[in-house]
Amino acid sequence: MADSPVDALLKGSSGRTTRGMLRIIILAIIAAAAVSSRLFSVIRFESIIHEFDPWFNFRATKYLVQHGFHSFWDWFDDRTWHPLGRVTGGTLYPGLMVTSGVIYHILRFLTIPVDIRNICVLLAPAFSGLTAFAMYLLTCEMTVSPSAGLLAAAFMGITPGYISRSVAGSYDNEAIAIFLLVFTFYLWIKAVKNGSIMWGALTALFYGYMVSAWGGYVFITNLIPLHVFVLLCMGRYSPRLYISYTTWYALGTLASMQIPFVGFLPIRNSDHMSALGIFGLIQLVAFAEFVRGFIPGKQFQRLLTTMIILVAAVAFLGLVVLSASGVIAPWSGRFYSLWDTGYAKIHIPIIASVSEHQPTAWPAFFFDLNFLIWLFPAGVYMCFRELHDEHVFVIIYSVLASYFAGVMVRLMLTLTPIVCVAAAVALSTIIDTYVLTTPGPLPRAKSSAESSSDGLRSTRGAVVGITSYVSKAMITVSVAIYLLLFVAHCTWVTSNAYSSPSVVLASRLPDGSQFIIDDYREAYYWLRQNTPENAKIMSWWDYGYQIGGMADRPTLVDNNTWNNTHIATVGKAMSSREEVSYPILRQHDVDYVLVVFGGLLGYSGDDINKFLWMVRIAEGIWPDEVKERDYFTARGEYRVDDEAAPAMRNSLMYKMSYHNYHNLFQPGQAMDRVRGSRLPAEGPQLSTLEEAYTSENWIIRIYKVKDLDNLGRSHNNAVAFDRGQKRKRATKRKGPRVLRTE
Amino acid sequence: MRWCLSILLFCFLAVAHALSSSGNRLLVVLEDADDKGLYSTFWGDLEARGYDLDFQSPKSSDLSLFKYGEKAYDHLLILPPRSKGLGPALSPKNIVDFVNKDGNVLLGLSGKSTTPSAISSLLIELDFHMSSDRSSVIVDHFNYDTISAPEKHDVLIVPRPGQLRSDTKDFFGGEGVLAFPTASPHTLGDDNNLVAPIVRAPATAYSYNPKEDAGSVEEVAATGSQLAIVSAMQGRNSARFTLLGSVESLQDQWFSATVKTPGSGKKTPTANREFAQQLTAWTFKETGVLKVGKVEHSLATDVELKEPNPTMYRIKNEIVYSIELSEYDQDHFVPFEVPTNDALQLEFTMLSPFHRLNLEPSGRTANSTIYSTRFTVPDQHGIFSFRVNYKRPFFSNIEEKEEVTVRHFAHDEYPRSWKITGGWVWIAGLWSVIGGFLAFVVVWLYSAPKATVESKKTQ
Repeated sequence: MADSPVDALLKGSSGRTTRGMLRIIILAIIAAAAVSSRLFSVIRFESIIHEFDPWFNFRATKYLVQHGFHSFWDWFDDRTWHPLGRVTGGTLYPGLMVTSGVIYHILRFLTIPVDIRNICVLLAPAFSGLTAFAMYLLTCEMTVSPSAGLLAAAFMGITPGYISRSVAGSYDNEAIAIFLLVFTFYLWIKAVKNGSIMWGALTALFYGYMVSAWGGYVFITNLIPLHVFVLLCMGRYSPRLYISYTTWYALGTLASMQIPFVGFLPIRNSDHMSALGIFGLIQLVAFAEFVRGFIPGKQFQRLLTTMIILVAAVAFLGLVVLSASGVIAPWSGRFYSLWDTGYAKIHIPIIASVSEHQPTAWPAFFFDLNFLIWLFPAGVYMCFRELHDEHVFVIIYSVLASYFAGVMVRLMLTLTPIVCVAAAVALSTIIDTYVLTTPGPLPRAKSSAESSSDGLRSTRGAVVGITSYVSKAMITVSVAIYLLLFVAHCTWVTSNAYSSPSVVLASRLPDGSQFIIDDYREAYYWLRQNTPENAKIMSWWDYGYQIGGMADRPTLVDNNTWNNTHIATVGKAMSSREEVSYPILRQHDVDYVLVVFGGLLGYSGDDINKFLWMVRIAEGIWPDEVKERDYFTARGEYRVDDEAAPAMRNSLMYKMSYHNYHNLFQPGQAMDRVRGSRLPAEGPQLSTLEEAYTSENWIIRIYKVKDLDNLGRSHNNAVAFDRGQKRKRATKRKGPRVLRTE
Repeated sequence: MRWCLSILLFCFLAVAHALSSSGNRLLVVLEDADDKGLYSTFWGDLEARGYDLDFQSPKSSDLSLFKYGEKAYDHLLILPPRSKGLGPALSPKNIVDFVNKDGNVLLGLSGKSTTPSAISSLLIELDFHMSSDRSSVIVDHFNYDTISAPEKHDVLIVPRPGQLRSDTKDFFGGEGVLAFPTASPHTLGDDNNLVAPIVRAPATAYSYNPKEDAGSVEEVAATGSQLAIVSAMQGRNSARFTLLGSVESLQDQWFSATVKTPGSGKKTPTANREFAQQLTAWTFKETGVLKVGKVEHSLATDVELKEPNPTMYRIKNEIVYSIELSEYDQDHFVPFEVPTNDALQLEFTMLSPFHRLNLEPSGRTANSTIYSTRFTVPDQHGIFSFRVNYKRPFFSNIEEKEEVTVRHFAHDEYPRSWKITGGWVWIAGLWSVIGGFLAFVVVWLYSAPKATVESKKTQ
């Protein structure tokens, strides 16, 4: 069916080079597609850092570029977590910043002056191209089919599950971590296959890079030992496995301990214990294999049983004792919430309050992966049919990642690579089976002969009909349609769901024109230009990184939620009466308080909707002073209108949100468009704060904390006096008269 | 030429003599111009001290405390009005604004007339409380002037006030007795640190309303030394407000009167003139004004290299902190000496004080004392502040705050491993393993090459 010039190119020795050339071109095109599909936000808005965490990474990168690596390493950040400060240099994963810093300096060395912001914005798309390439390599290790690797690379390049964390401007750890994850796994598979120290050391090297880049490295730390463990259980111990694992573990652990934030965790934290345990186990197994050569079978059996029992008992006892005595840190809360989805809600509200820690809704799988999700089980099935060491790896990875993705939305990201691999394997098998099969001798016998599996041969023997043109055409057309639909879906999702910077909101007016809501930047720049350099800003922690990055002002709490008590203090200040909050504000030197209010515009991600989390987190520390129940009405409703609970109406957050809001409306007509309720005709009165700034659409409201009254009055009295209410007499005190003594 | 210069300097000094530290524009609010003559000695004394007196009636239409948003006078002296209030220009709100903008006020009251409710409500804001009828006088049947008030017993004779507390400075002391005719009583809020009594009524005094003319007094608001005759209030910005219960005591008549108490047989002249001088000097900031000069902190070690006032320290650093303080005395700054029984303290604070240390005088310049201390930064990183918070009655407030960052040890500031003797075991273990491995490799490489070569050859 193919004409001769094409045949000449694709066959023989010249065909090999042509195919190699083609492959490189295809990969380059895939990388280009991956990069360009992530540029929606840059084209629509501008080259801007997105969301929350990227603002911190951006700020840290600027610090690194400005002050050099040495002072970045020892960076004590006195502009966050006021007044505690943060040992930032020792509590972050520096991989991302260092990567951009290195790129920046290389470009400068080549006399290409590029703004560090543009490097940060475009880092994620650039690395997504590399991810596609790494994915090609990984998939090529799984199957002999030439098309699978290219398909997987293409899937990885454009699947929304990965794009969601790697659009231009999404300058987060995941931007480079997914590439490192995939590449480390590729190197691991390579090491297991070859049993070479070089590949094991390379795995360890990239594992070290991964550790420096993302907290998700624990996934690798546990997946590789699990892979080894399963292989051992299957009786597949081999010197290859021993060499690659011990090399990886020894070097990788040392590499990971060089990151200050990780430090001694690999030998003290329970999350890392499985790697250590497997390391011990594989020594024992190796020793047993070694002994087997010298001792007759019967004695060996007895020796083995005793040894296993003894070692298991000692290891278990040791683990229990060390855990109880606190040498091995207990499991972290985030880890518990992986197993019990209700755990965080009860014990650690701060983890549960993050939306990306919520369990995944099932449509999200289709939304993020489209048709890959139903090719995925087929691909896993294909792995079962061959079941080499690397296929075991795919199976374990699939099972674990599917579970985790179901527990936490953000872990969809770790599922995506293996879905791409499995789906590519499945799809390439279909294509190979239908398109390349000819009635005569198989042209692809050369490639499939080495891995000749029973399954393929049996299908080959049984099926007659698939060689007809009709079935070929049908399958080809339907696969092509699916692929085209996939591309369309990915483009649509990327453009609509994942390309919003969330710093700038876009909406459509009734006539279809775009309406940009730029309140965040407006307010942050107001802070930057109108407040003293050292003015402390209190806000809920969600906005800490943005205030630090855009407004360049010290904040009390931010998205690095390392100190729950400090966050609870802010929560208490927000949820208490003014009389309670004011001393807290004074104690923490707060100059301005920033709240997000969506009532005017109907912006639902505002602070009143997050308010219950503040209450809950504060209640965790001060159960006697803040009670969640008080913020609901007697019938258990969360209301902001006339019937709102007294604690709700007197809380600082409520007062700050609705201060002066009723003046925008006709008397008694004030509406909150998020909660859809009518507000009281009389607005709340603030006495300890005064309004400093309100952005155009009222999304951000900034209040200035008043100083103590000059005459020593309470703020309530001072405000009443300024309003012209005369106190006729001093407020009468109850109880016996107190004499003044000097 | 030289004498010309010295005369100029002398003139300058003369003008500068006894000038208040905060300006000399004094507004005197006087309702009845005829009353001006009654206080001529008092006005003369004030003018002699360099004040620029401006007499205005509260009814005057062009009277305003502010001009272009700034205060038009530095000080305000209000004599008790006869009418119902002080008019729109001197509403309580304007006076409070005046105080908030660093204006000083001396308010005189009199028991002869009912105090207007506007003034009463102003006083409530400052935590001075009048009796509810606002027309009482202080009566004392043991300490009255037998010459001028043998019947009514409403001319109080009290000794000059001494120290208020053992840790304060005495600004109003001296020899002699004071006469307060028809003093209007007031009490002070019981937990307010900004107000302080200057002259309290004797223990036997009580408040009595002559208009009700009741034979006995029922339901007294306060008695004895809870009643104050002269009190002072200092805002947090150190603006001063003095309440004088008996404005008559400033009259010429009482400056030169002689009085006699029931107990003693001899007549004594009053010290009212000296007291009036002390009272106005304090109110208009000629005395008791503290000034902070240079504030310095630095590392205590390597004195040559130290740069003053760094913004960042490390935990466990040794720090020297010093603060320069002067006190304004009549017309110039003199070194400030902390009263005995009191201490100037430095706090090193993050959320709560980690250190609270007494600052000791370590040096002295022509017009200031240098207080300093030396301490070790606590083992806690964070944003700390040096705070000197010195607030005493009659002294203007000192509230110095400077933030510094205290960082953690940098990675290369810990002692190296070989300096820790406890680590030698581990270092020895480490190097013995490395050495053993190298030795093993050498032995492995060079021990049995012949056998293999031979065996290969034989094969």
